[in-house]
Amino acid sequence: MNQFNRNFVFLAALPTLAISQSVYAKDYLSVADARKILFPAAQTFLDHKLTITKDQKKAIKDLSGVRQRWDDQLVWRAEADGRFLGWLVVDEVVGKHEFITYAVGITPDGRVIGVEILSYRETHGYQIMEADWRNQFKGKTIDGAFKLDEDISNISGATLSCRNVTDGVKRVLALHQLVLMDG
Amino acid sequence: MNLTRFFAAALAGTALTAGVQADENLLGSVKGAEVLPKGAYDLYTAIKWRAGKGTGDYDAIDIKTELEYGFSDRFQGGVALFGRSVSNEGLIVDGYLPLEGNFGPKLAAIELTGKYNFLSPAKDDFGLSMYSSLNYDWMDAHSGQDKDTLSLEFELIGQKYFLEGQMIWMGNISVEGTYADRAPIDNLPDDFDWPTDPEMELEVTLGTGLSYRFAPNWYLGAEIEYQTEFETEVGQERWSVFGGPSIHYGGAKWWATATWLPQLSGGGETYDGQPDGLHLIEKTKNEFILKVGLNF
Repeated sequence: MNQFNRNFVFLAALPTLAISQSVYAKDYLSVADARKILFPAAQTFLDHKLTITKDQKKAIKDLSGVRQRWDDQLVWRAEADGRFLGWLVVDEVVGKHEFITYAVGITPDGRVIGVEILSYRETHGYQIMEADWRNQFKGKTIDGAFKLDEDISNISGATLSCRNVTDGVKRVLALHQLVLMDG
Repeated sequence: MNLTRFFAAALAGTALTAGVQADENLLGSVKGAEVLPKGAYDLYTAIKWRAGKGTGDYDAIDIKTELEYGFSDRFQGGVALFGRSVSNEGLIVDGYLPLEGNFGPKLAAIELTGKYNFLSPAKDDFGLSMYSSLNYDWMDAHSGQDKDTLSLEFELIGQKYFLEGQMIWMGNISVEGTYADRAPIDNLPDDFDWPTDPEMELEVTLGTGLSYRFAPNWYLGAEIEYQTEFETEVGQERWSVFGGPSIHYGGAKWWATATWLPQLSGGGETYDGQPDGLHLIEKTKNEFILKVGLNF
């Protein structure tokens, strides 16, 4: 191997060096923050963590068209003075490189109160965390279209993230209808 | 400035700024259909090490550095520079490898590229893009000798997401036409064939691959690529099948892909005494590809 090609070894070592320099993650909101934003009047959040059965997974897929990836789902029941305000569901969907963590507030009858992005770590598409994009989900029910560039706008460079969050909210609404509706 | 050091410094600089990604290469050769969003930049360097012709000691390195820019949400363009080095000891092939020795490293080619996205793999379920490149090259990639080539390539790229995007399929079909003109070489033996009349070459490439994200940011992939070339004088000059694994890291700011592509099968023109079942005149037994990209 000549001198030029020996330099290949040096070049090959660079990615490892770069990885050690730049691995990072950014979390924008905690679950506690999301609770306060989505249910500002709530005094208590009762832990209602779910373990989804195989049959429930199938039913969720049938209703929403989206696969229920996780067996366990983080859910809290929001109350104020004993009054039931709604559900807070924390979910994760596939982003281009990492999972996107987000929270959905749902009224007792199955309408989206709001969506908050807890963690987003992609190259493009940080507009996904802006209120203009998230507000498109407000008031939606399981009967919504949940289609990019129809009822939900797309963000260029982050289409996969937009699609998966959009699908994810629909799946969470299906989970609500099939598993949480009876309280 | 020594070309190698220039590229090494450029690559180190881009990597250490912990910067960049979007037209991210998940595999070594097979391309994906996604394009940069409007206003976004992508800078990457790809190093391809081609090694082994079955006889003697042959290896070559191609370094490509490309800057890509999203002109719209559907169209990206790029400009690329190529550096090359060829080392050949112990193998002379009539008409193809006229000299032993080290040739380069030197600047070898310039390329303009464009990719237009018709269908988005995330929004339309199936992604479809057209890629095109115009390449002017003045160093023969095989022999390292002076050879002017002008190539125009058109490529259809398909892409499909599975498992919400955790697994990605990609498929490519490309046709490349090349006008080639070799420079004369002094002091070759009288009976050595080194045509210097211009010739036309037509290259057809079919490739497909899968990439699976096995952990956040990390992907394992595999690809296979069939390529054949037809040339003015000999008709079908060669065909080959390369296939192998890739590992890819993709983060918010930068990405890297390492690929090993051994030649699995090949045929066409051969040199006397070469091992059977491979094409080893214009191809090698192995290719190793390393890419590092930054996204802005």
